Amino acid sequence: MALCLAVHSSKGGSGKTSISINLAAAYALEGKNVCLIDIDMRGPSLYTFFDAKPPLWINDFLSKKCGMMDIVEDVSSRFQTSGKFFVAYANPEIKEIRDFACQDRSWQSKALKTLISGKKELFANGIDVVIFDTSPGVEYESVNAVAASDMVLVTHNSTNVSLNAIEQLITGIYNPLSKKVALINNMCHGNIMNSIVEEEVFGIPILENISCMCDVAVKSNNQVLVISEPQHWFSRSIINIKDKLERFQ
Amino acid sequence: MLSKHDIYEMGNRSKGRETVATVSIDSEVCEQILQSLKEINSKLDKLVVQTEPIPPKIKQLDIVDSMDVMTLLSLPDHLRTTATTLFEIGPATAEEIATSTKKERAVESNYLNQLVRMDHVEKYRTGRKVYFQIKDNA
Repeated sequence: MALCLAVHSSKGGSGKTSISINLAAAYALEGKNVCLIDIDMRGPSLYTFFDAKPPLWINDFLSKKCGMMDIVEDVSSRFQTSGKFFVAYANPEIKEIRDFACQDRSWQSKALKTLISGKKELFANGIDVVIFDTSPGVEYESVNAVAASDMVLVTHNSTNVSLNAIEQLITGIYNPLSKKVALINNMCHGNIMNSIVEEEVFGIPILENISCMCDVAVKSNNQVLVISEPQHWFSRSIINIKDKLERFQ
Repeated sequence: MLSKHDIYEMGNRSKGRETVATVSIDSEVCEQILQSLKEINSKLDKLVVQTEPIPPKIKQLDIVDSMDVMTLLSLPDHLRTTATTLFEIGPATAEEIATSTKKERAVESNYLNQLVRMDHVEKYRTGRKVYFQIKDNA
């Protein structure tokens, strides 16, 4: 099994990072070797969650200053996963974010090639699943991550604004790049959970409807719920997503 | 801005009024006014030429079109599939691309050469094989 997954959304705050972290952990708990990569170059998150201060970042890799295996941190023993659990972080320094935002098309073209080569390097080193935690919308880094991935998992927060923008992403990004796409309805209002009957939106399947739970946001500050609370509704939804993804490929 | 035609018309109208007006206007004065208007028009034309924006020099980077992901998305479907495959598998022959896209080698060779002409892809020879790769433009 070799799967490269881009977790993407049309708008911010849809739960990409929480779902990415927990999905990566779910694969690693199952025994798969996983690498989770922060591609949200303009608003990095993973370094905060994992309290990481790595010597090298994804920024360095995309600038060809080092190899992909040089930037990953092994957090397997910390989370006691049976499979390898690697994480690569985006640099949160404002200078690095500014530098990245100023990169031209030629640099972005090379970054796409570098990202694809990095994915291959991870697979060659025994990684089974690569997960890109992207920035929302049509940022260069996100579209590069989508182009480099085998499949896109779109998180959606049940608003019409998000839904309309998703249609744009499907017709303007995912379909032209011939990507398999699946959707997660995240943070659904509890009162409507039982009334949700749709199995697909704009022709793409809905893998899971996750209700809005305040404790998920709070606990996700310092816990990986699929590890700390495997019976939590959110954790069970993540396991469902993982299982459905395997059947969906 | 008055065109020569406008001035001609004004002259005609002016001449017309002259014929119907009870107040007599010297035709020599009218000719002077017309001549002055023509001179003003001529000077205005020169000013317009001077103030027209000069087309900016085209930067070298704009001529050499980088094959970034946004450019990839703007390509027609058949070329995008070929270019995406070339991104994914790296330098490759037309045969290798055709195997991946499940199209005829000659078809892919045609698409690849179109991408070469568009300056997105470069080709090189190693032994008897011709390889294609996404061009680095910096």
